[in-house]
Amino acid sequence: MSITKSLSGSGDNRKQPNTGRRSFIWKAGAAMSAVVASAATGFSKTGVDRADALKDANAVRTLHRTYESRLNKGMYEEVVGMFANNAEVVFNGGLFKGEKSIRRLYCEFFQAGQTGKKIEPAPGFEPDPEQPQDIVDVAADRKTATGQFPYSMQVGTPMTEDTSLVKMARLQGEGIVKWWEGGTHEVTCVKVGESWKIRRLEYRLVSKADYRPGRTHARAIDIPAFSKVYPADPAGPDKLV
Amino acid sequence: MAKATYPKEHMHRIKFTKLTREQIDRKLAPAAAGPKCMSEFSDVLGGKKLKIVTDSGPTVNYAFKDRNRLTVSVDGKASVESGYGALALERVVFFSHMVPKTQTGYNVFIDLDSNLVTVIEVWFSGYKDLREVQRQIYYGYVEVAAKEAPEERHHLTNRIEGKGFYWKQDTGIETLEFYPSIVSSSFVELTRLGGELTFCSPSDYIQINDHMFIYDRTECEFSGIMTLYVMDLLDARQVGMRLGFNEKDALEYYMFRGNGEILGQLAIFEPFDDHGEKIPLNMPGMDQKGARPVYRPFGDHPPMTAEELEEAVRKNTSIFPGGDAMAGNRMELSDYLVGKEFTVRYDDGPAWNYRFDDLKKLHWREDGETQWHEEVYEAFEPDKELIFFAHMHSGVKPYECVKIVLDFANGLTSCVHSQVGSKYMANEVSYKFIFGTIEMEGLTPPRYLRHTFTDELVGSALTWNYSDTLTSMHVYSTPHSYSWTIFMENGAMGMQWSSPSRYAMIRDGIYLFSWVEEACNGGQGTIIINTKIMHDCGFGFSGTKDGLRLSTMGAYARNAGVYDVKRFFGPE
Amino acid sequence: MYQPMNIPMHRFKYTKLTKEQIGQELAATAAGPKCVSGLSDALAGKSLKIVTKDGPVLNYSFKDKNNLTLSENGGAAIEAGYGALTLKQMVFFSHMIPGTQKGYNVFVDLDTDLVTVFEVWFSSGKQEGGGGFLGGEPYTLDDREVQRQIYYGYVEVPGKEAPEQLHHATNRIEGKGMYWKQDTGIETLEYYASVISSNWVELTRQNDDLAFCSPSDYVLVNDNMFIYDRTECEFAGIFTLFVADLFTETQVGVRLGFNHLDELEYYMFRGEGKVVGQLAYLEPFDDHGITPMGAQSKTPNAIPEKGQRTAYRPVRSFRHLTDEEVHQAAIKTTNAFGGRGDASPMDMSMSMAGNNMPFTDMLVGREFTVRYDNGGPVWQYKFMDKFMLKYKEEKETEWREATYRAYEGDEKLVWFAHILLDSKPRASVAIAVDLLNGLTTCIYSHMGTPYYGNETTYRALFGVAEGEGFAAPRYMRHEFTDELVGHAFSWSYSDSMTSMHLYSSPHSMSWTIFTGNQTMGMQWGSPCLYVKLRDGVYIFCQNEEACNGAEMIELINTKISHDCGFSYSGGAGGVNLGLVGAIGRHIGSFDVKEYFGPRVAGKGA
Repeated sequence: MSITKSLSGSGDNRKQPNTGRRSFIWKAGAAMSAVVASAATGFSKTGVDRADALKDANAVRTLHRTYESRLNKGMYEEVVGMFANNAEVVFNGGLFKGEKSIRRLYCEFFQAGQTGKKIEPAPGFEPDPEQPQDIVDVAADRKTATGQFPYSMQVGTPMTEDTSLVKMARLQGEGIVKWWEGGTHEVTCVKVGESWKIRRLEYRLVSKADYRPGRTHARAIDIPAFSKVYPADPAGPDKLV
Repeated sequence: MAKATYPKEHMHRIKFTKLTREQIDRKLAPAAAGPKCMSEFSDVLGGKKLKIVTDSGPTVNYAFKDRNRLTVSVDGKASVESGYGALALERVVFFSHMVPKTQTGYNVFIDLDSNLVTVIEVWFSGYKDLREVQRQIYYGYVEVAAKEAPEERHHLTNRIEGKGFYWKQDTGIETLEFYPSIVSSSFVELTRLGGELTFCSPSDYIQINDHMFIYDRTECEFSGIMTLYVMDLLDARQVGMRLGFNEKDALEYYMFRGNGEILGQLAIFEPFDDHGEKIPLNMPGMDQKGARPVYRPFGDHPPMTAEELEEAVRKNTSIFPGGDAMAGNRMELSDYLVGKEFTVRYDDGPAWNYRFDDLKKLHWREDGETQWHEEVYEAFEPDKELIFFAHMHSGVKPYECVKIVLDFANGLTSCVHSQVGSKYMANEVSYKFIFGTIEMEGLTPPRYLRHTFTDELVGSALTWNYSDTLTSMHVYSTPHSYSWTIFMENGAMGMQWSSPSRYAMIRDGIYLFSWVEEACNGGQGTIIINTKIMHDCGFGFSGTKDGLRLSTMGAYARNAGVYDVKRFFGPE
Repeated sequence: MYQPMNIPMHRFKYTKLTKEQIGQELAATAAGPKCVSGLSDALAGKSLKIVTKDGPVLNYSFKDKNNLTLSENGGAAIEAGYGALTLKQMVFFSHMIPGTQKGYNVFVDLDTDLVTVFEVWFSSGKQEGGGGFLGGEPYTLDDREVQRQIYYGYVEVPGKEAPEQLHHATNRIEGKGMYWKQDTGIETLEYYASVISSNWVELTRQNDDLAFCSPSDYVLVNDNMFIYDRTECEFAGIFTLFVADLFTETQVGVRLGFNHLDELEYYMFRGEGKVVGQLAYLEPFDDHGITPMGAQSKTPNAIPEKGQRTAYRPVRSFRHLTDEEVHQAAIKTTNAFGGRGDASPMDMSMSMAGNNMPFTDMLVGREFTVRYDNGGPVWQYKFMDKFMLKYKEEKETEWREATYRAYEGDEKLVWFAHILLDSKPRASVAIAVDLLNGLTTCIYSHMGTPYYGNETTYRALFGVAEGEGFAAPRYMRHEFTDELVGHAFSWSYSDSMTSMHLYSSPHSMSWTIFTGNQTMGMQWGSPCLYVKLRDGVYIFCQNEEACNGAEMIELINTKISHDCGFSYSGGAGGVNLGLVGAIGRHIGSFDVKEYFGPRVAGKGA
C-alpha cells in the first residue's frame, strides 16, 4: 500500500521530530513561549468586549475538544465536517487543502491507521507541566480566532506485507503499526454564521515515541514524513511542506 | 566442597545472627586476598589495564598484575591493591574483588566482543540487617583509545522470565532455580538443605546478548548472602560468585563454574512489545542506590504470644464473614449436603458423625459421643458429587477447624485438620492431612484405597485470579512447598514469597492443596484445585492480631506452564 | 459413515451446491435429526416460551420426543421433527423448519431457566470482503456454509421475573484442548486456542493427521459447562455444535451440513472426552471474555450484520499462477534478502524479522561439502565473506556466486540459505550444518506444486558435511521428530506482530493472531515438518498451502526462546527468499502425541 511506502521514503530531516530525549522540553518550551507571547497581545489592544471574546474563546475550545473527541472515537467523516471551505491541514510534512484532500487525510490515511485515539503522553515524554494548557486568541472583529492546544495521540499506519498474518490481523481490526505523537495543534478558526469552523490546523510535532498504552517505557523514534504527493501517493498530501 | 550437613532448621526458621559492622569487618579481612575457586582461575586479564566507564556510576581503572592481583582506582582516586579472581565464559570475562579494608567490592562482567560491561557493586552494612549484601548495577563499557563510546548497553530483561534451571557448581552444590519474576527468583537448595523447600529472594536479570544473561539473588530475610553469575543458555553453563555469611556466620566468598539444565519455561504475560528493560514498579525510593523491591514478611508479622492471640480472638472471631478479598471469583455454595447424615472415619484418626440441617448449619459429634455440636459451615461442589466443606470445632483449644473433602462417587474422604499455634508461634497454624472413608447408607467405600499425597502438581504453575484486582501465580515447586508471585500492572511477574505446603490427589485433575505461611502471617489456605474447569474453592484459616478467622476463597486459574523437576525430589 | 477422506480438506474441491440443491437435500430434516444414542423425552408434553435478548420469542409445544410445534414471534405454529438430549441439567434440542433452510438449536438450563439459542441457516447469499478497511474484492459466501446467530435468553415462567444474568461469551475455555469420541465412533482432537476460532484434528474422518481451523463460539453456561460450535468455513461449511461438561468430560451436540460427498449430515450425538491440556492465555486477568470479540466489518465501528463472524478466507483474493507464469516472473526478479540489510526502523518494526537473530560470520573463509543421503544433492561451498558464498554441484566445474545469510542458531550450529541460481523451477536451500558433529539438514524448496505455480514445494534432506574439521557419523542423521507436537509458542516478529504457533500434529501446525489486549483471535493452519537438530533445537518448515503458498523455514531454539530463518515465496512480482526471526514465549503444551501415528483407516486413535 502506498501509504507506508510514502512514509518509508527519506524525508527532510529538518522537518523531523526531535528524537532526543533531552531536547524535548526545550522545544516544547520554545513553542509554548511563542504561544504565551501571542496571548499577551490579546484583548487589551483590541477593544473587543471581554465577555463576547471569552464566549468566542470558549466556543473555539469546545470546537477543539469536539475535534479531538471525534478523532478519538474514529468518527473521521464527522471530523471532515468540522472544517470550513477551502480549509488546510498540515500533518507530517504534508499540506492537505480543501474538503476532498481533508477527507483523504482523515477518511483514508487516519482511518487506515486508526490514527487520532487520544492516549497519555509516552513515559519520559510528558510535556512540561509549567506550560499553559491551551491558548486562544480571538480577533478584534470576532470573525477569526487562533488557538494552540497540546495534543497527545496514537498514530498508526497499516502493515503492508502481503502475509496471511497481516491479513488476519487486519480482519481483527489490527495489522497496524502504532506509535505515540505529542505536540501542539495550531488552529485557525473562522466563524461561519453563528458557529465556528476550522480554517487551518497544523500538527506541530514535538516528539514521537514507540509507545502504546500499557507499555512501561518508550524510546523516541523517527518516522519519515510524507515524501510523495497525491496522486502518486493515493492518501498523500497536495503539497510537501 | 563436601556435601553440606543440613542445618537443623530450614532457612525461614533459622535465627540468623545480627552481625555487627565490626564483626563483618573482621570476617571480611580474608576477602582482600580475593575469592577462592574450585576451578582454575582465568589469566585472561593478567598484565592488562582496563578503564571502565559506567553510566551514572563510577569510572574504574584497573591494572591486573597477574591472575590473582589487581590495582583499582575508582573515579580517579588513589589506587588500591586487591586480590581478585576471574573466570571466562565464552566471550564474557567475569572478575570479582573486594576493596581491602572496606565492606565494598566490585563484580565486573566484560563482553570481549562488544566491550560492554556490567558492574555490580556490592557492600555490607547498608541495611539495618548489616549482613545483607547490598548491590548496585552499573552499565558501561571498556574505554578503547580512539574509539567512540558504544551506544548500546547491557540492560534489564524479561527474556529469561519464567525459565527454570537445575545447576550444579564445581563445589558440588546443586540447586533448582526458577525465574518466574523480573525482580525475584525462587530456588531450592538440593545440597545445602536437602531440597525440601523453596525460598524466594530479590533478583536481577540482565541481558548481555541473545543467549547470555547475568543473574543475582540476595537471600534477604535469611542469611543475606548473594549469589551472582553469568549464564549461557546455549549449553547451560554458568560462572559466578557467592558472597556473604552463611547460617554459621562464616564468610563465603568464592567463585564457581557450573553446569545446568533448562527445566522448563513458564508463560509470561506482559505485552509482547515489552521486553522488560524497565521495571514497572511504582515504589518510593527506587532511585536510591541499592534500592530493590524486597518482601520482608518477618518484620511485618512479629510472632504473637498465646496471651496476645487469646486477646485478639476474644475481640474478634469471624466465621465465614463474607466479603473476602480472595473470594471474588469463588464457586457458588453447594446445598448438596443439606438433609444428609453420615460418618467420616479417618485411618488411625478421629471419626465424626454429621447431620446437615441447611445450607449453612450442621451438627457434628465424635463417633460415640452423645452430645451433638452445632456449627456454621460452608460447602462447595468442585467436581461432580465431590463436596468440600469446612467448619470450626467451637470451644476447642487450641482453636481448630476441619476442612473436609467428601467423594460421594466412591466413599473416600480427606480432612485437613488445623489448629492455631505451632512450636514456633502462637499465631501460626499447624495442620495434618488425614485420609479415610464415608459411612453412609448406599455408599460402599473401599477398604484399602485412599486419597493420597501426590507430586502430580509439582513443577506446574497456575495463575489464580481471586478477583479482578488480585491475581497471584502459584509455582508448585517441590512436593512440600510452593511459591507465589504477584503480577505487576502490565502483567509482568513481580514480588514473590514461598511457604511449605502439602498436596493430595482426590481424583484425576482434582487436588487438595494446603499451605501455611510459616514464619510470616501464619495463616493457612486450603483449596481444592480442579484443573478441568481451572477453578478452585477453599478456605482460609488464621489467628492473628485481627482475631480468629475462617473464610472462603476461590479463583479462576490459567495454566502458566510446567517445570520438569519431579526427578530431583524424594529421599536420597 | 463414510470412508475416511484421503484428500486433505484444504485440497478438496467442495461442490458449490446451489440453493435449490440444498433445499432438496434439507427436506429430510423435517423429520428431525438422527441419533445413535436414544433421544430424550425430557420435553415431551411440555410447552416453553423462550424469550431472547435482541432476538426472537419462540413458543414451543413438544408433542412427544420427536415432534414439536413452534411459533416464532407470535406467528403461525409450524410443525417439525426434533431431537433432544440431556446433559445433567441441560436439555439441548435441535430442529429445522420444514420448507425453509433454517433451524434452531436450543440449550435450556433447567436449573436456571436460562437459554442459549443458535439459529442456523444455509444459502445466506452473504457478501463479504471488499473495499474500505478490509480491502480486496468482495465475494459471496458458499450456500453450503452454515450460518449461525446466537441469542441469549430465558424460559418465561409465569409469575417469575426475567433473570438479569444470561449465558454469555467467555474466555474461560480459551487455551483448553480436548479429545472427544462421539457415540458415532468419530474421534477428534479439539484445541480451543482462541476465543473466536478453534483448531481440530479429525482422527477418524480423515487419513492424515492434519489440524484445521474454523470460526467458533464459546458460551459459558456455568462454572463447568460450556457451549461450543465451529463452522468449517472454506471447507465443507458443515457445523458442529455441542454443550460440554468439564466435570464429567461429556458432551451432547448436533452436526449439520453437507460433507465432502455432498451428503446431508444432520444428527445429534453424545460423546465422552478428556482434557488434554491447557495453554496460557495472556489477556488481562480481569478480562473474562464476556464481550465477544467484534466480528469483521468493512469499517472499524460498523455494527456486525446478523450471522457475522470473523472468518479467514485466504483463497478468496488469491490469484493462482501457472508454473510458467511464476518462472517468467522469477527470471525478471529473484530477490534474496533484498533491502533488509539497510531497512529503516519502520520497515524492521513491520517486518517478520524485526526480532531476528544476528547474522554470523563464522563461515567466512571456510570450505566444505554437504552430501545428502540416497543419491541426494552434493554441494561444495566456499564462503567468501559474511554475505557472499560460492557453490557448485560436486560434478560441476564452474562455481556460482550467491548472496547468503547465516545465523548461529545454537553453539556452533550454523543455519544459512541462498537461492539456487538459474534454477527452474526457482529453488532455494536452507541448510543447517552442525559444526560439532558434521550432520547437516537441507530444506530444499522450489516454486510450484501439483496444484499451482505460486505455491512452494519443500522437503528435508539429511546428510553429512565433509571437509576440514568434520568427522561425520556414518549412520546417525538428523531426523524428523514429534518432540514439538502439542507445544505452543508465541512468536514476536516485531513489536507490532506476534503470532502463536501451535504444533498441533506431527504434520501440521496452526497460528493464532493476538488482539490488542493479547486475547487469542484468528487462526489458520498448514501442513509442516519438524526436524530435530539437537536437544531443544529444531527445524520447523511450513507452507501456507492452498493459501498464499508461502513457506517459512525456521530454526527454533527453545533454550533461548528465539528462532531464526527464512521465508520463500513467489508470485507475479517474482520470487523472494526473505528473512524471518522472532522472540518466543512458551505458552504451554497439550499431551496429544499418543493420538497420532499410522493406524487402521477409520479406526480412530
